[in-house]
Amino acid sequence: MGSGDQASAPLRGQDNMVRGSTRSHFAAVLAALTMPFALCATARAADTALSEADTACLGCHSMEALAKALPNGETLSLHVPAEPYARSVHRALGCTTCHGDIDTSIHPAPGKDIQSLRQYSLDRSQACRMCHAGAAEHYEGSLHAARVGAADPIAPVCTGCHGSHSVTPRTAYETCVRCHSADLAAHGEWLPNAGHHQEVVSCAACHAPAAPRMIDLRLYDAAAGGWAIEREGARPFQELAATADADGNGLDATELRNLLAEVNRDAPGPLTLRGRVELREDVLAHRLVAKEGAIRACDNCHRYGSEPFQNVTISITGPDGRPLRHPAKTEILGSALAVESLPEFYAIGGTRSRFLDLLFLLALAGGIGVPIGHMTVKWLFRKQRARRQQSGR
Amino acid sequence: MAQHAGTPTERIYVHPLPVRIWHWINALGFIALILTGVQLRYVDLIGLMSFRTAVHLHNWIGFVLIANFFVWLLFYLFSDKIRVYHPELSPMKHFRGSLRQLQYYGYGIFRGDPNPHHVSVYKKFNPLQSMMYQIIMLLLVPLQFFTGLLLWDLNRFAAAVEFFGGVRVVDTVHVLCFIFFTGFIFVHPYLASLGHTPGAHFKAMVTGYEEVEKQPD
Repeated sequence: MGSGDQASAPLRGQDNMVRGSTRSHFAAVLAALTMPFALCATARAADTALSEADTACLGCHSMEALAKALPNGETLSLHVPAEPYARSVHRALGCTTCHGDIDTSIHPAPGKDIQSLRQYSLDRSQACRMCHAGAAEHYEGSLHAARVGAADPIAPVCTGCHGSHSVTPRTAYETCVRCHSADLAAHGEWLPNAGHHQEVVSCAACHAPAAPRMIDLRLYDAAAGGWAIEREGARPFQELAATADADGNGLDATELRNLLAEVNRDAPGPLTLRGRVELREDVLAHRLVAKEGAIRACDNCHRYGSEPFQNVTISITGPDGRPLRHPAKTEILGSALAVESLPEFYAIGGTRSRFLDLLFLLALAGGIGVPIGHMTVKWLFRKQRARRQQSGR
Repeated sequence: MAQHAGTPTERIYVHPLPVRIWHWINALGFIALILTGVQLRYVDLIGLMSFRTAVHLHNWIGFVLIANFFVWLLFYLFSDKIRVYHPELSPMKHFRGSLRQLQYYGYGIFRGDPNPHHVSVYKKFNPLQSMMYQIIMLLLVPLQFFTGLLLWDLNRFAAAVEFFGGVRVVDTVHVLCFIFFTGFIFVHPYLASLGHTPGAHFKAMVTGYEEVEKQPD
């Protein structure tokens, strides 16, 4: 992910805000009038999983028209899409966990000091730190934080990448590409097979160079054209993996084959494994550096025994979108016995097969040795040939 | 091929110009592909060039050799010289000829026996060569180029890669061919040096003319 296009990148993730709107204060009045209808609508949209308190909040805040005019002429949307919120990982927390500064007895309180949309974003991102202190710490060392510090008006805070009310687990690729789509093509100028690299290497694996990496072999549903998601009612993947890994020291080639057979036993379509270079700790993806500091040297991965290939996991996407993982032995990446289980993961050099190495050595030894041996025997027979030639035979 | 002093010889034109051009481009190209391939695969052991340089060279040379392959193919398809690749349809005759040739390379050549194969315009390959070159030119070389093309742009050829069993399978086939050609690239020039002089066959592949024993009319 480069930084060159950031000036032209749209402002992202601040989904509670709109710019330049002329909507007026009567939205609040309208909200009060329509609250009973909105409550009913929200209850349907957000399902019963929402708490009573959240349903009450959404009674007003699920209305698209709800907005607040700011002193600088911008308009802060107060709309919270109910359904995405109900599906988000933050639903369980409830509105007041992040918005604890709101006194519900006097809400909506007039005269709250919000100078601009940007200032509101910066202030609100402090709420994320209450739970995500580790991520925030890494973020502070990142290029994004440096841009924020330099008053770059489009530098992303937490919500810039993760959204606010619709936070769901996403891959780094999905997250980064929302702003950096133009950089995808730029990779092709120097990176061979750039499109394929972008599919199998997490952005942060190169752009957070200090973070330890690993190979994540994830179950893929070719028929559905996406990552396989653990089905409700099916035997949990991690339980199956633990059973297959009887000795508990990581799946070897045979155990992996058994696990795949077990996983596919009741699966509607064949599930295969697709490999990706991922960070060992997702939280380290926050420590992004400028593109000049990103990993560009191919042998960081394409060298036999390189760091990402020292840790291997087999995983499935959990119902909430997060991966459920089980460790595997590193040898499976190059094992001839695992070709059947891993037909779709291969990195030149990185997953070199020892069996093919041995064949190569034999071919090299044979290619050099056969001529030398043949020449030697010819030399040993030189006198016999000379005698035969002299005798005219 | 041993030729005795005083035996009358003649020069026959066995390697037409397109074949010679194809051969030398192919030879140099394959050496370069093997070197860059070794660099790609063994970057931890060898430092001839950067990985990225090796990738670009490997790709470009690969495309040159694919084009060169079609020079060879089209020449033979539209020339009566294709007869040199016609297989021996009698298995017994082919088997006997191969055995005789093996016996020559494994024993007779040491004693100074003459080469049982006599080169002619339409029969420049001995039975072993004939079989090997059919396998190499019609199976292994196209397979190497095809798998290389798929690996060159995995996304563009994603459907084909999947059809053939996945990138690991495609690459394994590519590497197995590479291993074969690595051995071949050493043995081939050695066998070519077993003419009546060590440089005779090399010279013929430059001039097009082989010097052979004159056969009785």
